[in-house]
Amino acid sequence: MENALGLMGGQATMIAITVFVMILGLGALLAAVFWPKRWRMKYRMEVIFVGLLAAMVYYADWKSTEIYTAYQKDFRAEQAVSGQVVEKDDKAFDRTLTVVSFQWGFAFLTEDNEISRNAAVVKPNEKVLFNILSNDVIHGFNIPVAGITAEIDPGEPRQVWIRAPQKPGKYLIQCVNYCGVGHAQMKAWLVVEGEVPTAKMTVGEKSNGA
Amino acid sequence: MAHELDIERMGGRPHWTPEDVIGNMSLKTLMFSNDYRHIALKGILTSLVMLALGGTFAIIFRTELALPDIQFLSARPYMSLMTLHGMFMVFGFVIPIVISICYYMMPKVLGTERLIWASGAQWSYWTLIAGAVLLIISRPDFTWTFYPPMSLRVGGGLIWMGYLAIVMVAISEFLAGAVLLKNALEAAKKGWKTMPLMGWAMAAEGVLLVGSTPMLGVVGAVMLTDWLEVTALFDPARGGSVMTFMFSFWFYGHPAVYLPLVPAIAILYTVLPWILGRPMWSYMSAVTAFILLTVLSFVVYPHHFQPAFSVSGWLQRTTQILTLLIFIPSTLHVFNWIATLWSDPIPASARRSVVFKFFISAIAFLIYGGVTAYLNAQISVDSNFIHNTYWIPAHFHAMFMGFVGQMAVAGIYYLYPYFTGRMYNQAMANTHFWLWQVGIFTKVTMMFALGYAYFPRWVVDYLDLPEWSSSQLVLTGGAYLIGLGFIVFVFNVAWSARSGQISPADPWPVEHEDAAASAVPAE
Repeated sequence: MENALGLMGGQATMIAITVFVMILGLGALLAAVFWPKRWRMKYRMEVIFVGLLAAMVYYADWKSTEIYTAYQKDFRAEQAVSGQVVEKDDKAFDRTLTVVSFQWGFAFLTEDNEISRNAAVVKPNEKVLFNILSNDVIHGFNIPVAGITAEIDPGEPRQVWIRAPQKPGKYLIQCVNYCGVGHAQMKAWLVVEGEVPTAKMTVGEKSNGA
Repeated sequence: MAHELDIERMGGRPHWTPEDVIGNMSLKTLMFSNDYRHIALKGILTSLVMLALGGTFAIIFRTELALPDIQFLSARPYMSLMTLHGMFMVFGFVIPIVISICYYMMPKVLGTERLIWASGAQWSYWTLIAGAVLLIISRPDFTWTFYPPMSLRVGGGLIWMGYLAIVMVAISEFLAGAVLLKNALEAAKKGWKTMPLMGWAMAAEGVLLVGSTPMLGVVGAVMLTDWLEVTALFDPARGGSVMTFMFSFWFYGHPAVYLPLVPAIAILYTVLPWILGRPMWSYMSAVTAFILLTVLSFVVYPHHFQPAFSVSGWLQRTTQILTLLIFIPSTLHVFNWIATLWSDPIPASARRSVVFKFFISAIAFLIYGGVTAYLNAQISVDSNFIHNTYWIPAHFHAMFMGFVGQMAVAGIYYLYPYFTGRMYNQAMANTHFWLWQVGIFTKVTMMFALGYAYFPRWVVDYLDLPEWSSSQLVLTGGAYLIGLGFIVFVFNVAWSARSGQISPADPWPVEHEDAAASAVPAE
């Protein structure tokens, strides 16, 4: 399934770098304390190490920006067609849902003005655009299976798009910003319709490009 | 890599003498004396009370979270406990405890012999106490970041006291910052180049406090007037904007997370050379790191609300780059510590002491929590599983509890003979050490695992998914171990003050031979 942010490649690399640096740091600390051999480091060692870190910083910024920019390009495609009469097939998104986030739940409004409380019904592998708004307090909008999070501020509607999973089923949509006592109940489901609907609920597999 | 100025830069040897400061003071001295030792002890003891309270709140809601569904705590009391836990731990424990330890160390290390403007520290203390009392009465349930407009609509009729408490915290921290800055500047008169690293750290801490807390005061005051419906700056329903709040609050909020970090680092830079009997590997690297960290801390704050709509384009990109750059000063510190440890044999006396053990594990937790922040800083990864999932508490619990909390207890164990005249019990201190290592590691690791599985923050109830419920159960176990370790610590500190071994004239002699079995601390 295609992740909304298309992260898996870049993300796995970043996690690998993190684990490597962590092992390097902890290993050096343990060696410094327990290994009998002593090492008087030259100052240039630190300069080299900082150079390495600067490269890591550069790589992270470059990769993260590349991924995020690619994600946002699709919005621009949508904006380009909005306001024009276009055939349904030409649209950048297969489905557009308006999401009202409120204390405490999500309501999904389809293009045909059908409203569903707490269930976004989509077809497998569809590219779905969510127009999200909040009229009361700050909410969060997180779909684990799609690997996307956004903060929804009152009075500032925004868009999030995802690629729906291939496998039919119920996938979690949740609020991740504290929004009042009902916050823990503020959940909804991404329902992917299919030939064999499965009732099993899931928080979703880690998104990957497979 | 020795430098001719290094001995001076170490602040010499510790020049306190073990004496029973605690036994020889009356309650009145403890409350109102302007002697730096009394002010520091008062701060340390109060912070430990705050830790006990904040910890008890955590144990209660952790027990509720051990299993899915709601067992005995409903959403509102849960959120009150959660909010008070956050506020007590941040404002009442991690920040004041390390500052208090620095109050104790500073006059001797910097050679000022007294705390300059001690009455400022006194006022800072009492303002904080007044704030804490107001906070408990008001019972806020809007998390320690109190995002409006939610925070303006919840809470009872007494919630105005909570906003007032925020203003008082700001005043208290501002005063503490002014005291630290004044002392550091006084010490610097003898020359910046020879000033011990404690002085540099206190200058940095002073700048952080004085620069950031006025904004917290303004935010608290505006929250109050917004709540009274005099103004509507933060309420979009009445023409305000939540972004005004975000940018103002986090302007304090990000430097705030370095407020406990910098003094904790200062304790390490001060005590580590003493117990190793040699100076730090590089003085200039530490100074550079302090300056860089201070500057960067004021400009990275939008990363706290990066997935908000208003943080986009150049602002988002700049924030990402600056946040990633934090890596450099933090690593300069850690590199320096490891290079110092590695350069020469570690004295047997250091290896025996629990202070050294806490130092090493604190550094390990700083690496654990710090390196993972490489992912937090990246917009693409942050917008996936990091923002407001348990990944974030995992990150700051590793830093606050794993590093700052453990540095604070290391500082207390080190200073213990100097303010009681006795040694703590070594066996109990070791028990405390291991309970905390297992507890904190379990807690932090389970939080990272939950964050990776998209577990949201601030929920009283959750779905019974295997990757969620099993981690929550283990996490609660870890919290119990930390609580148990704290009880052992408190018992040790209280019992040894009367019944511990009398401390020798130099409680911390540097000995390279293990044969010196008579040395204190002995196993």
